[in-house]
Amino acid sequence: MTVVTPRVRQFARTMHVIASVGWLGAVACFLALAVAGLTEADVPTLRAVYLAMDLTGWSVLVPFSIASLLTGLLSSLGTRWGLLRHYWVLVKLVMNLFATTVLVLFMTMFIQPLRQLADAAATPSAGAELHSLAPIVHTSGALLLLVAAAALSVYKPRGLTRHGQRTQQRRASAPPAGTLR
Amino acid sequence: MADPPPQHPDAHGDIRGEDPGKAPVGGGSPTGPPRWVKVFGLIGVVLVALILISLLTGHSPGRHMTGGLGGQATPPMHPGAIGVMDRDGPVLLRGGAAS
Repeated sequence: MTVVTPRVRQFARTMHVIASVGWLGAVACFLALAVAGLTEADVPTLRAVYLAMDLTGWSVLVPFSIASLLTGLLSSLGTRWGLLRHYWVLVKLVMNLFATTVLVLFMTMFIQPLRQLADAAATPSAGAELHSLAPIVHTSGALLLLVAAAALSVYKPRGLTRHGQRTQQRRASAPPAGTLR
Repeated sequence: MADPPPQHPDAHGDIRGEDPGKAPVGGGSPTGPPRWVKVFGLIGVVLVALILISLLTGHSPGRHMTGGLGGQATPPMHPGAIGVMDRDGPVLLRGGAAS
């Protein structure tokens, strides 16, 4: 039985698309900063790069990831797609949880220390020591993951989980319930 | 005004609340997961294993850092610096200058 009204469903879906697309776009910008963090030699520039990554990470990426997770939960639980019935929904949930967890760890373990190191670097020649490949590796992985999640949302590959199969069998054996909406 | 029922579980490509589960499961056996799920699962397991291995072996975050290779390239710091770069990446100190 679907509890969520169609209006709430549409709102949740709209917010889910906005959050997910915003997350993807922010990660693309983050990747540009990550490349600058590896290639720039100028310490003031590196300070600006890591400051920008720190700020956008906590104020854009993390909120978008959490918003995407919450609106995705609402969208799936509010419809008969369900959260655990179709593999593509379940896989997207796992991907979102994984990406959000890694993002928070990454911000804490990489970006904040890098920003502090860049702030503390005394001479312009210290730029080479502030170079890091880690942001590029992590951001590229996030980009691939989000593109895969977007593709899953569009293609919705077939496949019912065991729970979904049981639900389908119960529904098939039940008397017709009229219009589904 | 009801939407017509989809011919495919995902025929409408949205989540408007139609019954999405009428067609047989494609790409796999009736009870087992489809092939694409297995591929995604395999990639996920490999990723998690790599992360666990890197954490357990002390191959922590800053291993990707180029500046810390060999543990010798430590950036010059201001007095009262808060961190140093070692071979495992950024290591935070508290209130001390890097040596």
